Amino acid sequence: MDNVASLMHGFSVALTTHHVLLMMAGVLLGILVGVLPGLGAPNGVSLLLPLTFSMDPVSAIILLTSLYWGALFGGSTTSILFNIPGEPSSVATTFDGHPMAKQGRATEALSFAFLSAGFGAMAGVILITLLSGWVANFALKFSSPEYFAVYFMTFASFIGLGGASPLKAIVSMGIGFALASIGMDSVSGNVRLTFEFDALLGGVSFLIAVIGLFGIGELLLTMEEGLKFDGVQAKVRIGDVLRTAAKLPRYWLALLRSSIIGIWMGITPGGPTAASFMSYAMAKRSSRHPAKFGKGEPEGVISPETADHAAGSAAMLPMLALGIPGSATAAVMMGGLMIWGLNPGPTLFTERPDFVWGLIASMYLGNVVAVIVVLATVPLFASILRIPFAIIGPIIVAICFIGAFTVAAKPFDIWLALAFGIVGYVFKKLDYPIAPLVLAMVIGDKAEDAFRQSMIFSQGSLSIFWSNPLVSTLMAIGLILLLLPLVGPVARRLRGRTAARTV
Amino acid sequence: MITRFWAESATAVATMVFGLVIVKGALEFGIGWDSSGPQPGAFPFYTGLLVALASLGTLAITIGKRFAGSGGLQEISLDGEQFRRVAAFFLPLLGFVLLSVTLGMYVATILYLVFAMRFQGGYGWLPSLATAIGAAAFFYLALEKFFQIGLLKGPLEPLLGL
Repeated sequence: MDNVASLMHGFSVALTTHHVLLMMAGVLLGILVGVLPGLGAPNGVSLLLPLTFSMDPVSAIILLTSLYWGALFGGSTTSILFNIPGEPSSVATTFDGHPMAKQGRATEALSFAFLSAGFGAMAGVILITLLSGWVANFALKFSSPEYFAVYFMTFASFIGLGGASPLKAIVSMGIGFALASIGMDSVSGNVRLTFEFDALLGGVSFLIAVIGLFGIGELLLTMEEGLKFDGVQAKVRIGDVLRTAAKLPRYWLALLRSSIIGIWMGITPGGPTAASFMSYAMAKRSSRHPAKFGKGEPEGVISPETADHAAGSAAMLPMLALGIPGSATAAVMMGGLMIWGLNPGPTLFTERPDFVWGLIASMYLGNVVAVIVVLATVPLFASILRIPFAIIGPIIVAICFIGAFTVAAKPFDIWLALAFGIVGYVFKKLDYPIAPLVLAMVIGDKAEDAFRQSMIFSQGSLSIFWSNPLVSTLMAIGLILLLLPLVGPVARRLRGRTAARTV
Repeated sequence: MITRFWAESATAVATMVFGLVIVKGALEFGIGWDSSGPQPGAFPFYTGLLVALASLGTLAITIGKRFAGSGGLQEISLDGEQFRRVAAFFLPLLGFVLLSVTLGMYVATILYLVFAMRFQGGYGWLPSLATAIGAAAFFYLALEKFFQIGLLKGPLEPLLGL
């Protein structure tokens, strides 16, 4: 009940004209970055973040989270109409969304996508409302060793569950940690790893990394593939939307299952992309007509969309309550919180309840606003994609570099963004996961501090990570996740051998 | 052109060198223990080492697969056509960066957009110039006037009185 009272207070913070206008602006900008290739949610948030440094943190986080919702919706629009996922997390939506659009059921596909996405997001937000206070209270018991164990668990799950080569995940993560340690060392006050370059004294900002890795890198990859926009026209009429909405309850099982998958993948740092693929695969496997999937089956749109948005909103829970972001975008936002002078983690709930509950309330409102705005603006944003890439591509490039410069007004950052762009292109081409790099850059300092403080407590003995049941459990889960990639192939081989013997 | 094998190997060597550079840099600050706990170099030292070792692992696996003939390493990673497309996009982008740090970002934006539209997109001078100057004017109004954030300027802006 305590949470409900806090939430009501949160609504009083979020429901001002100023904040609702910010939500609409954020959603519109979000749809724009979601629709445009090369600009996605993580770098949309990165580009906007420097502009919010002077804003009040509550307004700033409402603007940024609304941009995030908008970007998730924008990504689905292009998936359905153009067969081009605007976001990696909406790739699975193309499988059935675009076939539906080609059969002349574009409105139905879009309405299903947006409404089920709204449902998924709501499920995620309700979970946050119910659990965040409890998780934060639990986390108040944490001290440095427990925090380090939680960070360890986060990165272990990337390595173990990420799907990419574990070695490549380690490389990506290690590069992030190394980059985070450049510049001032917060414990000793030394300036580290600058290699006599003055430009490195202030460290390497994670925002520059995101803009380069996700923005420039993505654009280079888009160019290489030589993309062509070949869209389906769509006009969204209120009547069609309502008719589709009336059909939605029929898919309650898909909605429920996908919400659960999404929430799980959002809290554990699997992220929205993995959630949408997993949800699509589950829907296809459990369907009575799996052959219909890929040819325009509504369930093939509903399942990935619900999971995508459920994961996107659920990723806010570990960020707020533990200070651990569940996705690359959440990592950027968490970096923003620290820049605004807030300390993400359990103490935030007691120190700034207006911020936390204002944000949670804004997630309810923001998603409702997003569904309405996105339905109203589909034709507008679809027409933006008809602008030839020869114009839109260079403009996006200019925006990315200008955004990189606005972070700290350092010309060196422009070069750095270019370097990250090349790294992003190569890493994406060779299947190196990029999210661990960004996460490591954002929480690198915190993880290092937690490790060093633990070492000081224990006088240098690693046994402190096994000193009580809580920290031991966390470390054990981390180790199990870490060993999964080793166990998986062995188990498969053993099973294969027994199967071969029985034949 | 470039096969997957060479792309994988070159990247693994590059990340390994990065890891070793970090290791070397960290050694300057001490990686042991002093009165205030672990020395500042310890954490970067181990992350650098981890990067170098994991890169070595990737390299070993790549070479191993190459000899086993598995993993599709003979596939072309970047063919001539793709290389041309990426280069046609990347070189003007590099030019934009060079112009940005010398002539300022507004001038660079205009020149870059005009080049991309007029000479690569095949548009006429009028639409190219209008789009380029319009975009630069929009950035100027939004950033300098609305958000009060100054962009990198070169020698030309003072002549216009901006």
